[in-house]
Amino acid sequence: MTPHDWYIENRAAYVARALEPREERLFADHLVRCEECTREVATLQRDLGSLPMAVDPAAPRPGLSHQIAERVLRRRARWPQAASGLAAAAAILLAVGLGVRERRALSAAELAVSDRDRQLAALRDTLSIMRQAQHVVQRDIAMGGHKGGLVIFDDPVSHRWNVVMHGLPRAPADSVYQFWFITENGMVRSVELRCDDDRPAFATVGMPNTPGAVMGAAVTVEPAANRAAGPSGPMLAHIQF
Amino acid sequence: MALPPSSRPLPEAGRPPAQLALTGQAPLRDRLVARDERALVELIEVASPWLLGLTQSMLRDQDEAEEVVLEVFRIAWDRVGSLGGEHEGLMPWLLRIARNRAIDRLRRRGRWRRKAERAEALGGLGPAAAQFQEPDESASPGWHVHEAVHAALKDLPDEQREVVRLAYFGGFTHSEIAKELGIPMGTVKTRLRLAFDKLRVTLASIQDWVR
Repeated sequence: MTPHDWYIENRAAYVARALEPREERLFADHLVRCEECTREVATLQRDLGSLPMAVDPAAPRPGLSHQIAERVLRRRARWPQAASGLAAAAAILLAVGLGVRERRALSAAELAVSDRDRQLAALRDTLSIMRQAQHVVQRDIAMGGHKGGLVIFDDPVSHRWNVVMHGLPRAPADSVYQFWFITENGMVRSVELRCDDDRPAFATVGMPNTPGAVMGAAVTVEPAANRAAGPSGPMLAHIQF
Repeated sequence: MALPPSSRPLPEAGRPPAQLALTGQAPLRDRLVARDERALVELIEVASPWLLGLTQSMLRDQDEAEEVVLEVFRIAWDRVGSLGGEHEGLMPWLLRIARNRAIDRLRRRGRWRRKAERAEALGGLGPAAAQFQEPDESASPGWHVHEAVHAALKDLPDEQREVVRLAYFGGFTHSEIAKELGIPMGTVKTRLRLAFDKLRVTLASIQDWVR
């Protein structure tokens, strides 16, 4: 019996979600690396797709359908408001970036005050976007003795995902921090995250333009030259949505 | 924890029974991708009873079930473009999201609450009541799938059906099922695997009925 046999034996349990939480995370991590299991799990999910319909339907209470439609569609109408929030966030992040360039010209005291103000403004703006998020996921991550974190939250209005990685050192030489989407059909490369100790990486990304529903996200350390292949470097974070 | 007894589903008060996409119309999925708001309304009308039935039976809380259904449609509206044409039907996709969200909520609940629910669910059910109920006839869209799934489940040996019920519809883990049924964990895994092997043969031929 090989270690892989455990995954083969537990594919049904993974689809049923009968694995213990720790086992489920282990299995999900394995899926990132195993095309065979990813394919088999997707096939099993597809074959059993109708199974939940064993349950009798329930009549919605009067007005519920209308209420759901209104609440789903109403979020789109708030786009200009959210767009301005995102634009403000982008402007603040840009300002933070420019601030780094100006750092040399400022005195230590001015720099400290300026940085704090900007960090506070950026934090306020990020929080304002997070308040609208339907989904916020946070994971602790570690790299080379540094402990940091990864926060992913959606912007329900623009239908995009915001990714923040903080507390990690600059990626090792000739390497990058790579953000991936995990889809039913495997890992789909997204953006590189440029983290630098005191400066978090912030990225806004769209959903991958590939077939298959998105099941999660991951961050790996990849060789800078490896732009085409799937993940090959160490896994820093693996998240199921 | 058991599936609710079968009952003839009622159309929402004051509304005609939900209809599927009409012949000659573009598939619902294509219209959703094209951000056709009317398509979303049609989807909600057609899919809500099934999603609500599933989430209510799992969560045993109507408000929470409705919250999950709202989440499902939000996700569907946001991400339908990422759903691969060949890989998964629209309805199975919605049901999968709903089931996963319901299980997430079940697992976030306090342990004491889960224990109480388990006692309540199993305490009120005899062996016969724990079976999947015979479906009633209905004009509800998708009812033929409901019947086909029932038939497939009915063909399973009782002990395999029970494990499917607890794991797939109850959100119970291997160890919880083993404890509940008083059988070894390996037996739980085997029963679930055998049941899925049989079910997938039968259910794989069912076409998605929302197009």
